[in-house]
Amino acid sequence: MIRHIMGVDGSYPYLLALWLLPLLGALVLWAFGPQMRRVAGWFGSGIVGASFVLTALSWGAGTQSSGGAVGAHQALGSWFAGFHFGLLLDPLSLLWALIITGVGCLIHVYSIGYMDGDGAFARFFAYMNFFVFAMLTLVLSDNFIGLLVGWGLVGLASYFLIGFWFFKPAAVAAARKAFVINVVGDVGIMLAIFLIVANVHSIGFGDAFAAAGSFSSTTLFAICLCLFIGAAAKSAQIPLHTWLPDAMEGPTPVSALIHAATMVTAGVYLIARCAPLWSHNSDAQLLVGTVGGVTAIVGAVLGCAQWDIKRILAYSTMSQIGYMIMGVGVGAYEGGVAHFFTHAFFKAQLFLGAGLIIHALANEQDVRRMGGLVKKLPFAFVAMLTGVLAICGIPPFSGFFSKDQVIYGTLQHGHPWLYAVGIVTAGITAYYMCRLLFVTFLGEYRGNVDPSDLGIRHPELAGTPDVHDAHASHGHAPAWIMNVPVAILIVPTVFAGWLMFGGDNSPWAHFFAAEFVPSSLPAPAISEGVTGIVALLVVLLGAAIAYVRYGTVAARAGAVARLRDESVRMPALLRNAFYFDAALDLIFVRGSEALGTFFSRYVDPHAIDGAVRETAISAGWLGALTRSFQTGLVRAYAFIIVVGAACFIAYYALVGGTH
Amino acid sequence: MTSSLLPVALGNYIALSAVLFFMGVVGVIVRRNPLVMLMSIELMFNAANLLFMAFARAWMNNAGHIFAFLVITVAAAEAAIGLAIVVAVFRTAKHVDVDDVAMLKG
Amino acid sequence: MIAFWVLGVILIASAMWTITAKKPVYSVVGLLAHFVALAAMYLTLSGEFLAVMQIIVYSGAILVLFLFVIALLSSGVAPFATGINRLPKIAAPAIVVALAGLGFAIYAVGRSSVTATSGALTAAAAGPVGTAGVFGSVDDFGKALFTTYLLPFEITALILMVAVIGVVTLAGDSTPYAATEKQARAVRKNMREAIVRGGER
Repeated sequence: MIRHIMGVDGSYPYLLALWLLPLLGALVLWAFGPQMRRVAGWFGSGIVGASFVLTALSWGAGTQSSGGAVGAHQALGSWFAGFHFGLLLDPLSLLWALIITGVGCLIHVYSIGYMDGDGAFARFFAYMNFFVFAMLTLVLSDNFIGLLVGWGLVGLASYFLIGFWFFKPAAVAAARKAFVINVVGDVGIMLAIFLIVANVHSIGFGDAFAAAGSFSSTTLFAICLCLFIGAAAKSAQIPLHTWLPDAMEGPTPVSALIHAATMVTAGVYLIARCAPLWSHNSDAQLLVGTVGGVTAIVGAVLGCAQWDIKRILAYSTMSQIGYMIMGVGVGAYEGGVAHFFTHAFFKAQLFLGAGLIIHALANEQDVRRMGGLVKKLPFAFVAMLTGVLAICGIPPFSGFFSKDQVIYGTLQHGHPWLYAVGIVTAGITAYYMCRLLFVTFLGEYRGNVDPSDLGIRHPELAGTPDVHDAHASHGHAPAWIMNVPVAILIVPTVFAGWLMFGGDNSPWAHFFAAEFVPSSLPAPAISEGVTGIVALLVVLLGAAIAYVRYGTVAARAGAVARLRDESVRMPALLRNAFYFDAALDLIFVRGSEALGTFFSRYVDPHAIDGAVRETAISAGWLGALTRSFQTGLVRAYAFIIVVGAACFIAYYALVGGTH
Repeated sequence: MTSSLLPVALGNYIALSAVLFFMGVVGVIVRRNPLVMLMSIELMFNAANLLFMAFARAWMNNAGHIFAFLVITVAAAEAAIGLAIVVAVFRTAKHVDVDDVAMLKG
Repeated sequence: MIAFWVLGVILIASAMWTITAKKPVYSVVGLLAHFVALAAMYLTLSGEFLAVMQIIVYSGAILVLFLFVIALLSSGVAPFATGINRLPKIAAPAIVVALAGLGFAIYAVGRSSVTATSGALTAAAAGPVGTAGVFGSVDDFGKALFTTYLLPFEITALILMVAVIGVVTLAGDSTPYAATEKQARAVRKNMREAIVRGGER
C-alpha cells in the first residue's frame, strides 16, 4: 500500500523540541513545584515562551512547499503496517501552534499575578504546561490516533484545571460534567477512526485523505458524523454544550486559555484538518453548518440573559465558535480559521480583562454588583472596550474582517439561511456585549447596594469563595504583571484583522493557498461589500438597543431598579438555558439511574441470582428424586426392571427394529 | 406354513407364552413370600420354554429342544440357590421378610 | 387342536392359582398342575423327551425342593411376610405395566413376519411317537446335544456344579468337625441342647 505523507519528510529538531518542552516543564513542576514556589510561575511561562520562539523559528519549515507536499513532517516511529506516527507542521497546525504557545505564554505570565498567594501555585503552572503539551500533540499529529491522544489529554487537562479549586463542590461537579460530555465526543472520534482504519488500513491523515474519494457516501457520512460528534463535544456545540458555562468555575486564566482561545477550538481544527473528507460529502457539510449556525444564535440569545461576567463570556465563546464551525462546515475553511485566529486574541483579551475586574473586586463576578468601574479600573475598561469592539465586528477592529469572511462564505457556498442567521447573531452579539460593557463600567458603583435590591437571590453564590490567602476581603489595584499581557494583547485584537484585508490577495489567503485549494464558486447575489455594510448596520442597531436600555443617562440613574426588574422578570426559559441541562439530566442521568435500579432490583435477584440459585436447587431436587428410587426393596427394583422391559417392548413394537 | 406342523397357529403359542410370562412378573412384584416369588420366576422360565418348544416344532429345528433343556437345567440351579438364600436369611433373622432385606437402601 | 385350548386354560388357571394362593403349599400344588399341563403341551408339539424331562426335573426335583424348604422353615408359625408391607399399593401399577407390556408384545408380533417364515428344516422329519430317530425323540435329541451343542452342555454342567457349591456355602451344615468319637458326642450334645433351647423360645 502506497503511503501518502503530508508534508516534506525530514528531521526537524525545533519541532520536536517545541512539542516536548511543555511536557518537560509539566514534569519538573509536578516534581519540584512546592520547592520552586514563586519561580514556578516564571519557569512555566518561560517554557511556553521558549516553545513559542521555536514555533516562530519553524515558520520556514512550516510553510515550505515542495512537489505537492506542504509543511514539515517529522516521523516518530511505526507500530505495525498502517500505524505510522509522526508530527506535521503545515500552515494549519503552524497557525494553531503559534496561537497556543503565544497566547499561552501571555496567559502564563498573567497567571503569575492572578494566582499569587494561592496555596497550589506551582500545581497550576504544571497543569497549564501539561495542557499546552496536550494541545500541541493534538494539532501537531499527522495521524488520527495521535490526534485522539491529544484530544483525550486536553480533556484531562481541562478536568484538572476546572476542578483546580477542588474544595469547591461546584467546581468538582463542573469538572466531572465537562469530562463526561467530552468522553461522549471521544467515543465519536474513536468510531470514526475505526471506520477509517477499516476502509483505508492506515491512521495517517495523508492516506485517509488520498482515499477520500473512494469511500461510499454512507461510510463517508458516518465518518464525518462521528468526527463531528467529537468536535461538537469539545467545541461546545448544541446539544453537547452544557459543560462550557459550568466550566467557568475554574480560575479566569484557565477560562481564557482553554475555554476561549484554544481547547474549545479543537473541533474547528479537526474539521479544517479533515477538509478533504468533508468536501466529498455535502450532507455532512450541511449538518455541520446548521449545527454551527444554531449554536451561534442560541448562544447569543442565552448570553443576553446572564448576570455572571464569566458566563456572559462563556456563552459568547459558544456563539463565536458556532460561527467558526459554521464557516468550516459549509466549506469556508479560510473564513472559519480566520475567525478562530481573531477570536483567540479578543476572547483572551476579554477574559483577562474580566479577570482584572474580578481580582480587583475580591472575586465579585456578578455584573449587577459592579458599575462605575470606568473610574476605578480605567485600564481594564480600555482592554474590555477593545475586546467588545472586536467581537462586535466594528471595523477596523479584527473581528469585523473574520466574521465577515465567515458570513459571506456561507452565502458563497449556497446557504442563504445560515447567512441570515449569521447576520442576526452579529446583531445579538453586539447587544449583549455592549450590555456587559455598559452595566459593568458605566453608572455608579453598586457594590454597596443590598443584593436583594438588585434581584440577586443567592448572594453567596456570586463569585468564588476566598481562595487567596493574602488578599482577604478588600480589593486592590491589580499587579503590574497582570497588566502587561493584557496590554500586549490589545495590539492583535485591533490589528490582526488586517491580515485578511484584500480578499484573495490578502496575506491570509496566501498563507493558506496550498492548504485550502479554493474552489471556483459562482458569485452570489449579494456581494461581500454589501454583506459588510449590512452586518455593520445590524451590529450598530444591537449596540444602540443596548445603549438605550443601559447606557443613557436616565438608564444609568435608575440602574438598580432596572436591573432588579430585569432579574425578576427573566423568563424561565432563558433562566434555565432552554432546559438543555434539565433535558440531558432527565434522559441520561435519570435514565441511567432508572436502568441501573431496574437491573439491580428485578433482573439481578430474579434472573441472574435466580438462575444460579435455581440451578443449585434443581440439582438437589433431581438428586432427591433419583434417590427416592433407591429403596432397597427387591420388589421395587423388580418393578422398575419390568417397567424398563415394557418400554423396550413398546419401542420395538412402535418404532421397530429390523422388519 | 405351520398349519400342517402345529395344531393351531404359531401366534396363539406366542400369546399364551406372553400371558404366562407376565403373570409370573406380576407374581414376583406383588407377593411378599420369597418362596412364592421364586415360584413366579419358575413360571416365567416355563413360559419361555413353551415358546422354544413351539418354534422348534414350527421350524422343525431341534435347537429349540436343546435350549429348553438347558433352560430347565439352569432353572433348577437358580431355584436351588434362591432357596439356599432363603434358608440362610431365616437362620440369621428367624423370619424371612423380603421387604426387610433392604440393605441396598439409599 | 382342542388339546391346545384345554391345556391353555389349565395353564393359565394354575398360574393364577400359584401367584394368588394364601399358603405357599397351595402355590406349590398349583405349580405342579402347571408343570403337568405344560408337559402335555409339549407332547402335542412332538417334544416327547422334553415332556418327560419336564416332569422328572421340574415337578420331581424342583417342586420337591420347594416343599422341603417350606417344611424346614415352617416349624411353628410361618415366618414369611411378617413385617409391614413396604409397597402396599403396588398391585395395580404392576398389573397395568404387565398388561401394557403384553399388549405391545402381541402388537409387535402381529406386525412382524416371524409367524410367517419357516426356518430351515434341520431336524429329522416328524413321525409317530416312540419311533427312533424322528423329530423329538431321545435319539434325535441326544445326537444334537452331544455333537452340535456339546459346549453348552458342558457349560451347563459347570453351572450345576457352581449351584451345588453355592447351596452348600449358603445353607450348609454348620456342624463342627469332630475328629474323635468323644468330640462327636460333645457335638451331638450341643446340638440337642440348642434344639431344646430353640423350642422353648
